[in-house]
Amino acid sequence: MLLAFRFALASERVTASAIEANEFPQLSQELGVWAVPRIVVDGEPRWDGAVPEAEFLRRILA
Amino acid sequence: MTVSNEVRLAGMPILRSEEETKVREWFGELARPVELFVALGPEETPRAGSGDLDFGAEMVRLCEGLAELGDDVTCRVEEEPEGFSRFPAVSIRPDGQDAGVRYDGLPWGYELGSLVGGVVEAGRDEPTLSADSLAALEELDRDLTLDVFVTPT
Repeated sequence: MLLAFRFALASERVTASAIEANEFPQLSQELGVWAVPRIVVDGEPRWDGAVPEAEFLRRILA
Repeated sequence: MTVSNEVRLAGMPILRSEEETKVREWFGELARPVELFVALGPEETPRAGSGDLDFGAEMVRLCEGLAELGDDVTCRVEEEPEGFSRFPAVSIRPDGQDAGVRYDGLPWGYELGSLVGGVVEAGRDEPTLSADSLAALEELDRDLTLDVFVTPT
């Protein structure tokens, strides 16, 4: 989670939200959140699990 | 006699003593002030098992409690402020400015660490990303929205 926060703090173009899956079950269901952390980029579910910074960067820009 | 979660939690410390000492230390080293902007509003019905907890009230208690741990950390609460669609939420704001860093829902349990970490990161005056990441962000020609779904356990 902190990595996403750090990207947002480093760029005005990036926003990062942590979303507590249990409190927003409808949204979680829509996005198929079965494992956490689930990373959603521009509304599209992309991957589950923590990755190193370089890989995180590659994936969010892919 | 039934005691509601709200009543039970009201008397519970936010952090253990040793954790509180550490957080005070981190918050004491912030290079710039950080505001925890709490947005309250109509809440979605959570999944079963969440009991009768008042998520909004608990969010305020957590954020006000954290703000007591550092002179440069403040807490402000508003009802249904513009730009928020999920409640409760907290926007972590360096120098009181919206930097697009937010936690939607109550950051309880293990996730409280993410909120504390967010404050520490927002309180830095320089980004902590690698040179490669910063260069890539410099080249970014579109907005990017990152949502990370988490759970408190």
